[in-house]
Amino acid sequence: MIAGRILVVDDEPEIRRAVGRALGARGYTVESAADGERAVDVAPAFAPDLVVLDLNLPGIDGLSVCRQIRSWSQVPIIVLSVREDESDKVAALDLGADDYLTKPFGIDELLARVRALLRRTVAIESRKPPRFVFGEVEVDLETRTIRRDGEDVHLTKTEWALVDAFTAHPGRLLTQRWLLEHVWGPGYTEDFNVLRVFVSQLRRKIEPDADRPQIIVTDPGVGYRWVLRPAEAAVPPVS
Amino acid sequence: MSKRVAQAAIERRGGDLMPAGRGGPEPNALRLLLAPRAGPRRAIGYVVALAGTAALTGTFLPVRASLTPLSEAFGFLVFVVAVAWVGGLGPGIAASFFAFGAFNFFFLPPYNTFVIERPEHIAVLFVLLGISVLISTLLNRTRERAVAAETREGELRALQELSSELVGRVPGREAYEAVLERLTSIIGFDVASLWVEDEDSPGRLREEASIGAVAGTLEPRAPSTRDGNSLERVPLSVGRHNLGMLLLRGDRDPLTPGESRVLRAFCDQLALVLERDRLLHVAAKAETYRATEKLRRALLTAVSHDLRSPLSAIKASVTDLLDAGAPEDLTYRKEALASIDKEVDRLNLLIANLLDMSRIESGMLRARMQSVDLDEVVTQSIDQAKRRWTGIRFATSRDPRAAIVQADPVFLDRVITNLLDNAARATLDAGNASVEIEARPSNGSTVVRVIDHGKGVPATAREHLFHAFYDLDERGPRLGSGLGLAICKGFLTSMRGNIWVEETPGGGATLALSLETEKGT
Repeated sequence: MIAGRILVVDDEPEIRRAVGRALGARGYTVESAADGERAVDVAPAFAPDLVVLDLNLPGIDGLSVCRQIRSWSQVPIIVLSVREDESDKVAALDLGADDYLTKPFGIDELLARVRALLRRTVAIESRKPPRFVFGEVEVDLETRTIRRDGEDVHLTKTEWALVDAFTAHPGRLLTQRWLLEHVWGPGYTEDFNVLRVFVSQLRRKIEPDADRPQIIVTDPGVGYRWVLRPAEAAVPPVS
Repeated sequence: MSKRVAQAAIERRGGDLMPAGRGGPEPNALRLLLAPRAGPRRAIGYVVALAGTAALTGTFLPVRASLTPLSEAFGFLVFVVAVAWVGGLGPGIAASFFAFGAFNFFFLPPYNTFVIERPEHIAVLFVLLGISVLISTLLNRTRERAVAAETREGELRALQELSSELVGRVPGREAYEAVLERLTSIIGFDVASLWVEDEDSPGRLREEASIGAVAGTLEPRAPSTRDGNSLERVPLSVGRHNLGMLLLRGDRDPLTPGESRVLRAFCDQLALVLERDRLLHVAAKAETYRATEKLRRALLTAVSHDLRSPLSAIKASVTDLLDAGAPEDLTYRKEALASIDKEVDRLNLLIANLLDMSRIESGMLRARMQSVDLDEVVTQSIDQAKRRWTGIRFATSRDPRAAIVQADPVFLDRVITNLLDNAARATLDAGNASVEIEARPSNGSTVVRVIDHGKGVPATAREHLFHAFYDLDERGPRLGSGLGLAICKGFLTSMRGNIWVEETPGGGATLALSLETEKGT
């Protein structure tokens, strides 16, 4: 189990307490904040490895907190939203939040997301281009080769750019807008069709079954998530 | 001529109004305005034509030798003009021929024969006849035009009066009744009844207004004639849309063409006004619906948020306990269970509040007033609140004279519970830990104050504080404290009590309620 420092921001004291208790019991160091001002104050000193952020906050709202944290840190952020705040959720992901959970959520779900995102951070910090293996599919970023059933798979330039964008954020939910902006450029953020075509093209090349994707998973209406974990990444000691 | 035009106009309209003969003997405003030429006047004209000719002949006869036929002819001409003026066309023409005969027989030599001696006398004779007939005809036409113009003017005046009455009034039954009153007095009916299409069941008419009779006695399907009374049915429609019917009954002759015209024109305007009123009504209903819809959406958002918060906390704790990685130790489990317990209480309170609110809004609330021991209710509410708000200290102080109030004990408990919850939340949010409850007598009633040391309520927000969706939170609609306070107000109103907000000295809000001390009537 990889432990870390987690900042929980929610205005509901009971949710704060329940989440804090559960995370604390699993070895994480938890700090909590009841509103946006306090979250922004506490974050730099606490230096969290991950932030759990409710979008519906009094005072400075969750989106602004997300923006402010992103201005100085790449710390993974999981946003908590309710069904009515669909657009806020996507906006937060566009701003660079890594994942979301819809209230009410199970602690098991939260723990799974936390683990996935913290592992990713560790992988990035290892500074070595990772390798991903899924069944007979192997993606090696160091040699920039993709092999499937032992044969080389040829990717176009754009497809590689897409793979790079995904593998730089394994486990993170990347919104359509974010992908379009980072792979195609700021002028293409509305071309959702282009993205869909390229993703399905890429899936046909690397997924064992393109109709039931297991590497690039769709979050309907929001975006895509690269769910493979880096293989053979040297695991650094727990901080 | 004007009569023919009017009749044609009526026939073009569908002929549902009977074209009428002369007006009846009973005078009324429109009939005076439209006064048709009286029949007896014409009969008198013929008599005058005959008698006048004889008299004039008698006058001229003794002196006929000293007068020229030309001057006698002028005398007859003047007489014919006078008869035509008084009696109209028929008597005028008759007088012309009488004069022609008398002049020829008595005044053209050889006298007392129809023989004419000198040819120029023949010319004089026929010029006299020609001019007489011509003048009679011209005079008659002029007068007919004058009468027609007068009639029109009368109609227009009547119509103008009616339409200004019609548009000048605020829509509603009274306006219609006033207009009907006016209409019957102008046209001369005793009973008028306005039937309009029922908006709930299209095609069916209901009586909107009636005057002069007991409502419902004059029906659209009433027999057309009864005791010689005249009954008029005028359909009211705009375009193809049938809006209703106007029924008029009176002890009078059928309508004259002029009256029919006025009535039709008035009914067209009435139809437009009915249509306007109907559309106004529809617009008002749409507006109400829109406002209700907006409120309903706000309620839904608020309820879903407020229900989901405790649910989220419960789900987090429950899934935590279910998770394989959860610590086994008893303290941890108890803590999680206590948190679940607390949130379940909160949900329960919220649902009770929602039900109370719907009972208050539907007007189904009936307080069972009785003498209630204030201490008992307050102590019980505080005990429960202490369980929910473990970090808060609740202090009470009571004046010994404020022991019994007139209230419904269940309602009072819900009020105090909500006020304590509200105060505890405000106090806790401000990082404070004490809430005070005090009870004092005041002018025959008892005032209970729940005092918190929270952020307080700004003066501008005080009047909205007791609205169901009002919360000081700016994040959109939330039930929060707003619902609780709205319920308090509803309960207190049903208990003949009152609730208001004061400022706590040193900061914070004081919610005060008053209830009667003595049993009222």
